[in-house]
Amino acid sequence: MLNNRIAINHRIIREALRIRKVEEKFLELFSQGKLNGTVHTCVGQEFSALAFAGQLKKKDFIFSNHRCHGHYIAFTGDTRGLLAELLGKRSGTCGGIGSSQHLCHNNFFSNGIQGGIVPVSAGFALGNKLKGTGAVGVVFIGDGTLGEGTIYETMNIISKWEIPLLIVCENNFYAQSTPQHINLAGDILARAAAFGIRTDRGNTWAPEDLMIRAQEAIDYVRETSRPGFFLVETYRLNAHSKGDDDRDPAEVEAHREKDFLQVFQGESPAYFQMYNDALDVEINTLVEEILQEGDLAAEDYYQHQPTVTGEEWTPLEAINKRQVELLNAFFRDAIVADDRAVFLGEDILSPYGGAFKVTKELSFLRPERVFSTPISESAITGISNGLALNGFKPYMEIMFGDFMTLAFDQIVNHASKFHHMFNKKVTCPVVIRTPMGGRRGYGPTHSQTLDKFLVGIDNVRTVALNTFFDPAVLYRSISVETHPVIVIENKTDYGKKIAQQQYPNFVYERNNDAYPVVRIRPAVSAPTLTIVAYGGMAEMVAGMLEDIFLTTDHKPELIVPSLISHLPVDLVAGSVTDSGRLLVVEEGSGFAGIGSELIAAVMEMTHGGFTARRVTAYPVPIPSVKSLENSVLPDKRRILAEIKTSFS
Amino acid sequence: MALLQEILVPLLAVNDTTLTVVELPCVAGAAVKKGEVILVLETSKTSYDVEAPVDGYIQYCCEAERDYAVNEVIARLYSEVSEASAPVPGRPRVAKPVVAPAINGQQYAPSAMTPPVQSRRAAATPAHWGGETLFSYEAERLIEAAGLARETFAGRDLVTGADVQQYLNPVAAPGARMAAPTAATPTAAALTAAGTATSLKAVAPVDPSKAIVQKLQSAKRREIEYLSDIQSTGLTSTLNTHIEMEGIFPQLNKGLGYLKDSLLPVIVYETARMLAGYPLLNAYFTGDAVAVYKEVNPGFAIDIDKGLKVLKLEGAGGKSLRDIEADILRLSGAYLDDTLTVEQLTDITFTITDLSAEGVAFFRPLINKMNSAILGVSAIDEKLQRCTFSLSFDHRVTEGKYVAGFLRELKERIESYRGDAGGFYTDISCFKCYKTLKEDLGGTGFVRCITPEGKEGYVCQSCLKGF
Repeated sequence: MLNNRIAINHRIIREALRIRKVEEKFLELFSQGKLNGTVHTCVGQEFSALAFAGQLKKKDFIFSNHRCHGHYIAFTGDTRGLLAELLGKRSGTCGGIGSSQHLCHNNFFSNGIQGGIVPVSAGFALGNKLKGTGAVGVVFIGDGTLGEGTIYETMNIISKWEIPLLIVCENNFYAQSTPQHINLAGDILARAAAFGIRTDRGNTWAPEDLMIRAQEAIDYVRETSRPGFFLVETYRLNAHSKGDDDRDPAEVEAHREKDFLQVFQGESPAYFQMYNDALDVEINTLVEEILQEGDLAAEDYYQHQPTVTGEEWTPLEAINKRQVELLNAFFRDAIVADDRAVFLGEDILSPYGGAFKVTKELSFLRPERVFSTPISESAITGISNGLALNGFKPYMEIMFGDFMTLAFDQIVNHASKFHHMFNKKVTCPVVIRTPMGGRRGYGPTHSQTLDKFLVGIDNVRTVALNTFFDPAVLYRSISVETHPVIVIENKTDYGKKIAQQQYPNFVYERNNDAYPVVRIRPAVSAPTLTIVAYGGMAEMVAGMLEDIFLTTDHKPELIVPSLISHLPVDLVAGSVTDSGRLLVVEEGSGFAGIGSELIAAVMEMTHGGFTARRVTAYPVPIPSVKSLENSVLPDKRRILAEIKTSFS
Repeated sequence: MALLQEILVPLLAVNDTTLTVVELPCVAGAAVKKGEVILVLETSKTSYDVEAPVDGYIQYCCEAERDYAVNEVIARLYSEVSEASAPVPGRPRVAKPVVAPAINGQQYAPSAMTPPVQSRRAAATPAHWGGETLFSYEAERLIEAAGLARETFAGRDLVTGADVQQYLNPVAAPGARMAAPTAATPTAAALTAAGTATSLKAVAPVDPSKAIVQKLQSAKRREIEYLSDIQSTGLTSTLNTHIEMEGIFPQLNKGLGYLKDSLLPVIVYETARMLAGYPLLNAYFTGDAVAVYKEVNPGFAIDIDKGLKVLKLEGAGGKSLRDIEADILRLSGAYLDDTLTVEQLTDITFTITDLSAEGVAFFRPLINKMNSAILGVSAIDEKLQRCTFSLSFDHRVTEGKYVAGFLRELKERIESYRGDAGGFYTDISCFKCYKTLKEDLGGTGFVRCITPEGKEGYVCQSCLKGF
């Protein structure tokens, strides 16, 4: 009698054995010095991979962690790509860039940051829900990852927003070397249940039962479009990584004896031998073939692109509208016209429309594309990353620039790295907007300018708005970016109108770059002082150009970059060649700041011969009291004094 | 009146530091049109036509049948006939070290990637300002002190104290503080080509009464040079093996379109796949190291009235048997039609020479320059139903045991094309676990069943009973 409920068969066993043999091969190659870096094996845990990754459909997706080889093979079947990846070869699934922990192939993604993949996978799943594809996803975490807070931020959101994501927690009872009882309080399943998420459990010593329950959990997520949480009890028979095993050998041995492949070997030795031998041949042949291959060429990974600032200039035009109105107008168009657009942020639902009203009435126009989020900066940045990986254009708002620190892991270790570490297979066009800056009396945690931390993130563009032209010009460029963009908006600029004050003896112009540079220069004279400022400081300096001329006896030229992660060094160097003097004004503190970078780069390009100074915030928290706030942040008095004393 | 263009010896293949001028098709001083062939050069592999890049009058700076180093000037084009007819300034004809522009190394050097700084002042034309002139406080003070009229500065936008001082004392006034940066002089590591080719010198005396001297053709000279490179060291060896051929062609011919009863396509196919596993046979000796090619591009030798040439089967390791067969046919056609390109003749990483049509029993193939091995195929002995494969190799790169392993595997692979029985059960497999009947060890066979999809199928005992 044919029992269709039989979930374990020789194919599954062979797949489990394949995973094990591949990982054992990795350990062997490592010991021979042929494998760079490290590996975390899942020997003993293979049936968890097969139960979930192996029972998904092609359209579904997987996010996995540092212990991902089993999940990868079970989902993609791409043993060769994995072997070549770990051997660091060009034909590896990510060209050898990512290696063991950073894989990407056909809807399979893994990353080596604990917990960070959970919100990203939630965003990817949300994307599938918005598209209505019926696809579901599985994210694998370990019991050690349960210490990461972003998981709980995400569980709250996936339950509330009904996101079709199955979290599979592989509980092997150790967080690296630490036994679970030392670090874990309470009950694992109760944590998920507290968020109203369906939970179930199984173990790898009863794979038949595990396979059936896994299929039921996947079906539940698919049919109800709600999240699930599945706890798989298992045991890794090898060390966390390689030599780092302090567990009781008797405990390991006891688990080895009940390991299903071990049991199968005892019961069906002839089959085991046949499959084992065939896999040996298969894997050895692949390895021999792969070892002959070459590495990815360095120039295929990175090529320097010099900054070339456009020299076609257009006069600035005054617009009798406030910056915030123009921003809102752009987003109103985008939410209707751009099917990729999704808006996320705290309190952005209308009528409130966000703390600074930039997103006003968007949720009236297209409610299903506006997500007013819990106070969970890490999770919503991760969800935005996942949406971006899934083809959407998320515009996410962090309510105050100071809170960017809560999103930092998602920007630095996820958004900025995906494209390169997956060897350019994916792009992550996420947009993170945030109002930065002081002069509103909000005090130490709502006033600081953190730009210098953001421009230090590789492969993320950081754009700073200003009040000299319509911000829609910048956002139109941002909307077609394929890589992450951070937009620094300025709290005090929101209420200002565009290019209002123009002195008659100066020319106001911007170039035609995607992120235009503004230049305000003496009408015909060559400048004798080059000033670079951006964002809110640019508005202040522009308003004092005539004063600077009258009182310091210098003809100033102000250059205002808007793409502050790629400064217009060539343009500034050209101006400094004429003027011999460079002043950089920034609202953040000066050490290792934007001015440091700019002056160094101009020095490299011109070989020196000029005087340079910076005017920056003092390196202390921004005080609330007005008089002190004004003296900590750069102000007119300090700028004039600096020019007089340094450039006389 | 102008020199329009200098014609330099081009770099056509990395091995060729000199080229031979074989023909000067135009009369010196003649008018030539753009696109017209003005020189015929010969590389070690093929001949190459040089076309006039512009209209002009030609002056040759070379002679036929002589060698010239890459980048040496061999002709000039002038706008006037009188210039082209002027005597050629004497120049040493011997190939000398030539300085060519560097092609590598500019990638990550910051000074090389920095564009030149643009100063606006240098380019700006003096502009006139029609608006009101603004004076700095310092300028006001100086104007007053000097008793100047403000109108003196009419037409200026901004006037500083420095401007006033310059007006009062034009020589001593401070100019821009900064000198323009010295122009970057990218004396980038110039590539020096060691331009002297192996020269053949007569060492054996000739008595004209007893022998007639036939001058070596340049193609033959190059062939000698090419083969001398490795063979002259004497450190080569050749291993031979027999390949059993019985019953091979009926099987093989099924996979071939045109080249029936030919071993060459399958030899190329199998060799190309195997070379990845035998990198030392896809390599060459550099003098102090072994250079292993990153790609496998086997070549096959051909000599049908057009001279001995080796034609490249690019990327054969990733091609099907049919594609390789097609490549062989295409390249042979190009060889006969004289339409081979330089690319089809260069960067060959391993050579196969098939003399099976010549009836030889076995022979010792000679290894080409920048190769470490060559495979020779002799004729099939119809009586014994076998043929000899001979592999010559450069002993400085590898040794006999390694090559023997290669030959043994190649023999097994070629012989595996001799069909055998089997394959009877291969299409019966369990619909659940895909185990084939051949793999089944249960001894009770499979059960014929109807699958849940309603199709006929088989199920194995373990899937039927479960675990």
